[in-house]
Amino acid sequence: MMPDMTQHGKAETEQWNPQQNVPVIMFDRVSKTYGRINALNSVSLGISGGVTGILGMNGAGKSTLFKLMMGKVKPSSGAIRLFGIDPWKNPAPYSRVGFVPEHEKMYDWMTAFDFIVTFSRLHGLTRKEAEKEATRVLTFVSLADVMHKRIGQFSKGMRQRVKIAHALVNDPELIILDEPLQGCDPLARTTIMNVIKELGAMGRTVLVSSHILNEIERITEQIVILHQGRVLALGNSHAIREMLDQHPHKISLECDDPRELAKSVIKIGEVTGMSFAEEGKLLIETNHLGEVHKQLPKTIIESGRKVTSIDNPNDDLQSILMYLTGGSS
Amino acid sequence: MPDDDLVGEEPFEPVQDKVETYGAETPVTGQTKMQAAWSADTGDEETSAKVASSPQGQIFEQIYTPWEGTLNPRWMRNWAILRHHILGIFKKGHRPWNIPTRLFIFFVVIASMTDVALALLFGMIGEPTLYDIWGVNRDNLYGHVMGFFPRNILYYPIVAALLVGGIISEDRSHGTSALYFSRPINRFDYTAMKFLSVCLILLFIINGTLAAYYFVDILVMGKGWAWIIDTFPMFLAAFGCGIILSFTYTSIGLALSSISRGRFFPAIGLIAILMGTRSIAAIVDALFERSLLYIISPYDSVAHVCQALIGTEMTYQHPWVWSLVSVVIMNGLALYLLANRVSSMEVTRE
Amino acid sequence: MSNRMDTIWSQLDRKSTAIAEFTLRQYRTRISTWVVMIASVVALLLILLFYIEAMNTEIEAIDNDGDSFDSDGDGYPNGQEKLLGTNPDSAEDFPSGVEPDPPEKWINEDDIDWDSLQDGTNYVGADDDGDCLEYYDTSSQRDTNDNGIECDIIVNVDSFNSTISVISDSGVDEDPDEDKYGKEAGHRAFILGIGKFGIVYLLGIFLPLFLATGLIREEMSEGTIHYMLAKPIARGEVLLYRMLGYIGITWPFILAVCIGLCLITGFTGPSDSLFRWQDVPVWMSIAWAAMLVSLVYGTIFCGFGIVWKNGVILAIIFAAWELGMAFVTILTGGDSSIRYMSVIGWGMIIVDAGAAIGWPDNWQLIEIGLWGGGHGEENWLGEVAFIPLPGAEPLSVFSGSPNLGVSNWLAFVISTIVLIFQGIMAWFIGQTIFKGKEVN
Repeated sequence: MMPDMTQHGKAETEQWNPQQNVPVIMFDRVSKTYGRINALNSVSLGISGGVTGILGMNGAGKSTLFKLMMGKVKPSSGAIRLFGIDPWKNPAPYSRVGFVPEHEKMYDWMTAFDFIVTFSRLHGLTRKEAEKEATRVLTFVSLADVMHKRIGQFSKGMRQRVKIAHALVNDPELIILDEPLQGCDPLARTTIMNVIKELGAMGRTVLVSSHILNEIERITEQIVILHQGRVLALGNSHAIREMLDQHPHKISLECDDPRELAKSVIKIGEVTGMSFAEEGKLLIETNHLGEVHKQLPKTIIESGRKVTSIDNPNDDLQSILMYLTGGSS
Repeated sequence: MPDDDLVGEEPFEPVQDKVETYGAETPVTGQTKMQAAWSADTGDEETSAKVASSPQGQIFEQIYTPWEGTLNPRWMRNWAILRHHILGIFKKGHRPWNIPTRLFIFFVVIASMTDVALALLFGMIGEPTLYDIWGVNRDNLYGHVMGFFPRNILYYPIVAALLVGGIISEDRSHGTSALYFSRPINRFDYTAMKFLSVCLILLFIINGTLAAYYFVDILVMGKGWAWIIDTFPMFLAAFGCGIILSFTYTSIGLALSSISRGRFFPAIGLIAILMGTRSIAAIVDALFERSLLYIISPYDSVAHVCQALIGTEMTYQHPWVWSLVSVVIMNGLALYLLANRVSSMEVTRE
Repeated sequence: MSNRMDTIWSQLDRKSTAIAEFTLRQYRTRISTWVVMIASVVALLLILLFYIEAMNTEIEAIDNDGDSFDSDGDGYPNGQEKLLGTNPDSAEDFPSGVEPDPPEKWINEDDIDWDSLQDGTNYVGADDDGDCLEYYDTSSQRDTNDNGIECDIIVNVDSFNSTISVISDSGVDEDPDEDKYGKEAGHRAFILGIGKFGIVYLLGIFLPLFLATGLIREEMSEGTIHYMLAKPIARGEVLLYRMLGYIGITWPFILAVCIGLCLITGFTGPSDSLFRWQDVPVWMSIAWAAMLVSLVYGTIFCGFGIVWKNGVILAIIFAAWELGMAFVTILTGGDSSIRYMSVIGWGMIIVDAGAAIGWPDNWQLIEIGLWGGGHGEENWLGEVAFIPLPGAEPLSVFSGSPNLGVSNWLAFVISTIVLIFQGIMAWFIGQTIFKGKEVN
């Protein structure tokens, strides 16, 4: 019946010591289903230290991942540990976490300063401490000059920065940012990216989600790619790109006369092999998918053949990367 | 991508002579708004942009494609809105009224038919005294529309509250009002159709069951012409009362819906106004034996007018004309508020 | 207290004040808060208008026994003639050497003067105008109720069955002062009526309906709850401190309304002194009941908001149930036991207990008013249906007894504990659901 007494905040005289040998975030075969929709499917992850980008298309499961971490939703199966503690129903680890939600909605009637002071007091700070900390974090995101203005008057980039500042107020070890760059103009993007990079340099564990690879690559090289609720790739972004290049790709073309078309297609230098799997279908193999895709339309037009469809069969990673890197470029 | 032959030919005439304010005061020709609606899509850009080139850079002059089709008449467009709202009660693919609302309406329709069922039952088994209690007569016709308990505390006001709950405010908070206003529909029509749809749904419930009650009695009991001539004016009066009642509930509810953002406030606000004013007037009546304060209660004012119309015994001491004036003022105020709010409404997502 | 406990408490304190203060500021920015408060004040003022008018209007005095008339036309009112032993029906027979009294002196000349009634048989009443003692000659005429005492009234009080019977000798206490009684009874009926129904029920249910239903739900649907839940704070605490903020706005409002009404009615009400101090406990119990009731309703409605997106529908249904219970409680005057199944029933017990403490003579006042001097029409059973004095019926409707079988103070405490328990249960259930709720 009594409020949870085991919660500890920064104002504790006795510091709460998490187990040192556990990773900051542990996902052990976590699945989450909403009715019949599989949002996450047996995801296992362990993240400690540095900036990590979580990449994926809309609906890939990024937000669900974060919601699970923040104890907003309960995993259907598997275990989640935040500093070695199950976050569902136990808010204790949040004293070391800063969370920037994706939602646009904020308390527009509050000033940025009041907003941060109020919510940092939920970490157990006194009003004085909270005011000091609020000034500090607002200066950190370079909003010190407008901090006594109402949030409702802020632009989107400024609002994002207020959200980030609010998450930094308890000096967290883990910072989770859900789509922090969405909808911001280039200038705001750069500012926010710099803030994130700086946090990473300060030795914090930072998680950033996005659906644009290039953006994330400007912040970090360590990425996790989610697709349809599964971890598709994980590691250094360059390594992933390289692996993709080494990996043979297939392009399937449907046309009226595949053999005639093949004659023209073989002229593209990057094509390493071809086969005629079924009637009216041409299968192209290549190691440089982007390049082939670039040249393919012209080749087809020049050949004068009629192509009814172009498809990349069974190649999730490749197609998703195409999407993440911005389409057919 | 600028295409060379497009620049020379200038394939589209710029729309010059139309004042494109898109405001509420624009007369509804439909033409201008339609262009905006169809051309806003990105798929149109290859046909709707003219490129002017200069050494320093490129300036794009945007010209909307004139819409060549014929616009349906105004009533037809309005009918589409009305249909969209009313049919949403019965089937999918129209305005999605939520499940509790639909269930409650279903319940209320069934519950309002209790007098039909009882009249039928006692008419069939030939129990004249019981039939006299439940059969069609002046008091029962009044009671079917204006009875306080349970009809005007549990049934009709709550249906009205559920209906008006989100009808305008939800459009505003979801940003879907922009879907209407980017089409050739002006604000007056939009509001009027919303009003009409709520009012009609209420009317279906109140007067639909009233008509069922009356005509079932005629058919099943085999009433003669003399009886019909006797009672038909009463039925008409009760029918008129149903119209006044649903109109009043709707106008107050919609006014509340237009001033608020969520669905909470209009629904609770309507109930609070209906029940609160009546309770206050009842306290004063009980304490000081003054019925005058009932004129602030929408239900009681309508009930008083209806007592005069149908000709049942008056339960209030003050003259019924005061109640009539009060009904007129209430509706006038509510409609004024509604019109005022809707015409000044910003079409953005709030 | 250890240092550790100290820090935990101070931390809890910081969190609670942060959320409560935030909630209060949030209320302040909402128009609906102000609309609700202003509307309730306007409504109360409207009723107050009727009250003040009633208090300033003289209730027309009725000469119940006809003593002010001069039936024989000799200039002397009947009462004076009866007192002085002359025949009121004979123009030749009139008191000599005495100036005739003005007729007004013989209206309301025999007010009801009962001592405080005990359980059992009471012999009360006094013949102020002498028409019992002087006019009737034989002692059997003076003792029509056959109790051996001339010119008195028997009042049988049976508190076990809550019945009271009044048998009076003729001519005793038969011409009470309507204005004096009507003002006092009307004043009390007003306080109880507006207190029980206007403040405890209407304010108690509409404030939470508007202010508490969306306390968590609106944050959930707008997505701003994420800011609160991403902090090291249990969801139950969030609910508790939000409720604290809700109390922070509703309780002062209720208190202000009650103090305002108490002052206005205290100065305008009928009283020998400047201010009616005896009403203060009643107003205090009304305010306390309304505060507790609004707290319980608020917690319940807030819980409905957590359970379901359309929790307001549940809230309205619940409010309808409570309205029914309010009527049952008022109309039965505390005799029903189904009221124990409601919140409002317990709230009204607090008011009834407060009224019984502030006005110990209240039930007696009701009985006097309902008897009204013993005038009335006899029905075919030979029972007299008394014509009640003005104000007696509303007072008897809005008065009730706690009827818990314990003293008034204990009833007050018990119902307070029950209401607080209901509030805690509502909070506990609400936070249990909130904890298990997935927030998207």
